[in-house]
Amino acid sequence: MIDRRLFENIDWFLLGLLLFNSLVGVAFIYSSSHYLPGNYYLRQLAWIAVGLITLFLFLTVDYKILLAYSYYAYGLVILVLFGMLFLARGIAGAKSWIRLSSFQAQPSEVAKIVLILVLAKLFSRDKGMLLSTRDMLTSLALVGVPFFLVACQPDLGTAICFLPLLLAAWVLAGLKRKALIWITIFLCLAGGASWRFYLKEYQKRRVTSVVFPGRDPRGAGYQTLQSRIALGSGGFLGKGYKKGTQSQLRFLPARHTDFIFSVIGEELGFVGAAVVLLLCFSLLRRVFSSVEKSRDRPGIYIIFLVGAMLTFQTFVNIAMVVGVFPIIGIPLPLLSYGGSSLLANYIGVALVLNVKMRRFANI
Amino acid sequence: MERTRIYEDLSPFLRRTKGTVIAVGIFFLVLLFSLWKVQILDHEKYWKLAESNRIRESVLAAPRGLILDRQGVILADNAASFKASIIRENCQNHALSLPKISQLLGIEEETLRLRMAKYESWPLFMPIVVRDNLSLEEVSRIEARKLEFPELIVEVDPRRFYPFGSLAAHVLGYLQELTPEELKSEKFRRKNLGDLVGRTGVERQYESLLEGANGRLAEVVDSQGRPRQVLARVEPQPGQTLVLNLDFDLQKKATELLEGREGAIIVLDPKRGELLALASFPTFDPNKFITRFTPEEWMALVNRPDHPLENRAIRGLYAPGSIFKLALALGGLDSGVVTEQTAFFCGGTVQLYGRPFSCWFAGGHGVLNLTEAIRQSCNIYFYQTGRRMGIERIAEYAQELGLGAVTGVDIDGEKPGVIPSPAWSQKVRKTPWFAGETISVSIGQGPVVVTPLQVAVFTALIANRGARVTPRILRSGGSIPLSDGEPLTQSTSRIRPQDFEVVIKGMWKSVNEEGTGRAAKVEGFHVCGKTGSTQIVSRERAEKMKKEIKTHSWFTGFAPRDNPQVVVTVLVEYGGMGGATAAPLAKELFELFRKKYD
Repeated sequence: MIDRRLFENIDWFLLGLLLFNSLVGVAFIYSSSHYLPGNYYLRQLAWIAVGLITLFLFLTVDYKILLAYSYYAYGLVILVLFGMLFLARGIAGAKSWIRLSSFQAQPSEVAKIVLILVLAKLFSRDKGMLLSTRDMLTSLALVGVPFFLVACQPDLGTAICFLPLLLAAWVLAGLKRKALIWITIFLCLAGGASWRFYLKEYQKRRVTSVVFPGRDPRGAGYQTLQSRIALGSGGFLGKGYKKGTQSQLRFLPARHTDFIFSVIGEELGFVGAAVVLLLCFSLLRRVFSSVEKSRDRPGIYIIFLVGAMLTFQTFVNIAMVVGVFPIIGIPLPLLSYGGSSLLANYIGVALVLNVKMRRFANI
Repeated sequence: MERTRIYEDLSPFLRRTKGTVIAVGIFFLVLLFSLWKVQILDHEKYWKLAESNRIRESVLAAPRGLILDRQGVILADNAASFKASIIRENCQNHALSLPKISQLLGIEEETLRLRMAKYESWPLFMPIVVRDNLSLEEVSRIEARKLEFPELIVEVDPRRFYPFGSLAAHVLGYLQELTPEELKSEKFRRKNLGDLVGRTGVERQYESLLEGANGRLAEVVDSQGRPRQVLARVEPQPGQTLVLNLDFDLQKKATELLEGREGAIIVLDPKRGELLALASFPTFDPNKFITRFTPEEWMALVNRPDHPLENRAIRGLYAPGSIFKLALALGGLDSGVVTEQTAFFCGGTVQLYGRPFSCWFAGGHGVLNLTEAIRQSCNIYFYQTGRRMGIERIAEYAQELGLGAVTGVDIDGEKPGVIPSPAWSQKVRKTPWFAGETISVSIGQGPVVVTPLQVAVFTALIANRGARVTPRILRSGGSIPLSDGEPLTQSTSRIRPQDFEVVIKGMWKSVNEEGTGRAAKVEGFHVCGKTGSTQIVSRERAEKMKKEIKTHSWFTGFAPRDNPQVVVTVLVEYGGMGGATAAPLAKELFELFRKKYD
């Protein structure tokens, strides 16, 4: 059970940032959906409460124990994803351009956390300071299987979220610079190949629409263009809280989920958007700088991978909203409406706090 | 405090992390720059795009499903209706235009203001319906001034229309606009501002089948509100057509018979539980509710002393009076306290528990057996039966026969009524049960109250010689298939079929052998029935008040005696004697049924 001395070692600043960002999210979920049925802001508040309880539950268990059970959890997740591959057939969720965050996100959110633990366990076994080929291939397989299963659903957007975990683990394990260049080249080739063979027509259009949003304003370019119009018309100071009259975003069902940042940008302008950007960055920095407070290798991996997960999602979401990245339906961590994503991020931060507070002794 | 590393040197990891943080910082600077470009450098461009190129999303309302009677007569239809809405964001100067608009639409400025205030917190782009049922003339007048009032738009909606007005209004129910609070609730998440929803009857019960799915239209409009380009169009899905068990002719007849009275009539198929007619009077015109903005008229209906909105057939609670004697007879036979031959003497009055109890026939019926007692509706006979059974057993049998409980009909709001017992008395009245009350209950007076529908279902149970049915309004619709064929028998009463035969014999005599129900006699149709006249105040009090107080008038019966096809239950409030008022009404319905179906 949790010791009082452990409790004193909780990083209250990180926890505070987490909560503050979540509450900013609630404020804009309210602004963008208060007239809609569903009481999304209240639900999000409930999710935050659930998230906090889960977070404290995760603190009571030493991360070493979590690591010990991680392979079992991994097996379970693979089983569920495999089952979903057959059950989820015929559900048009992923195909529809309008339902960006489909409910299929849920098992894959769990998968992210489990992957973090499994990768941390795998890499901390090694005592060397450079990435070994064996570890590289094992981790590739560990991430490859769920990636393949989710990509076949087909939900490429969610599957892509697994890759930064792999890359981050490699970088931390000491990937050589030359290898990094090779990987970049490989990813480019893979991208080209998937463009040719794997990507569906609608996915291709999403990519082209980043470059030419005006070409197809009714289809794929539509959301990019509307998001940009909302942001752009917000200007320097914005139109004011709850006064985002920008009509164009009104019938994106995702305005309180994936496009929450464009609501912030429209209503609070560049100043507000920059402040939120700064808040996000502060949180990420705080997470990354926590590696210094880890007493061992697995702890460092956990913290680093959680940071990578949050960074990737934050970056892709904002890039998507600003219109420099294809729309692949990734929510903005902590700010977007959505229970499963919020919960996964809270568990991620719980892991960081867990490592940090057990930095000293063997309590 | 100096941190000590017990296990190993982890500094390469810290170094790599620092590098990563720098990379993340660079990423964020790129994002910040992109934001700067979109929000500051290109602000002008996007501002203009936002201003000049509006997108309007409108709802294409789905027509509600039709409601038909069993022969296909349309009871609830849809008609095209024009409605005017205001989109606030298109308006330049509210204070200036609002008075003019109110003049144009012919509504009070204050009403308009209140309406706008109601949805104040809603986004400016959402159209607020301010007037519906516009005439074509009004539509052209609005269209002509489109440039002057870009915020005013006219939309066409399919609107509920009940071709027969108040006919079957209590069964069909009515629609009302959703309140802003309801619109926010989970239940109505797919509804829109100004949508109507079924509040009572079939409209409420089968809302999910009737509502269909609204379509959507997204179009680019210019600053004058003129559509320039259609972005997306999702066609509405009309609601499903429902076929009711109601028979238009029987329903119409039942309504006509009640005209000018207060009461209820039910015509029921005893085998399948199909409700052929269910009328309650006074009634209302559900078309009146559809106009969204006449709260006065609605309040007037709600506050009327004769409660026209109340469905008396399922919500009216009345003492069953002599109809309850049938339950006593069945209970008495089954429990063995009486047999068909058991005879009692009626001298017009009898002393029980030190108090006189009288028969309705002051001269007395003399000595009579059970079937004769039912025929003549003798009170004394059933006082004696009730005294022998005791209140506990009376309550038990009444409940067994379906009285004092909801019938399970597929319309909302049914009341259960009360079958009193000593336990009920302690719980609800907080007084002990008095022996004299058992005597009153024996003839369906005192605290016992039931709904007309319960009486109809009770009669069907007798007609079926014990098989219970659940009354159904809906015949088919949606995934519910046509309910033809197998009878919807739920369970069978434990009372023996021969006991039912005895009671049915009495009911047959009541109608066909100059009994109290003789006015319901239809030559050759073998109607079996029972009358009831329930005193609202005791006879002594009525005499004291020196005022003639009329009783509620009941008749319930079925026909033919063998192989029953129809149950008719009539209740007329303050109608006088059951044999005089209710029975002749029932006769007309039996005749009509026979003409149509036999």
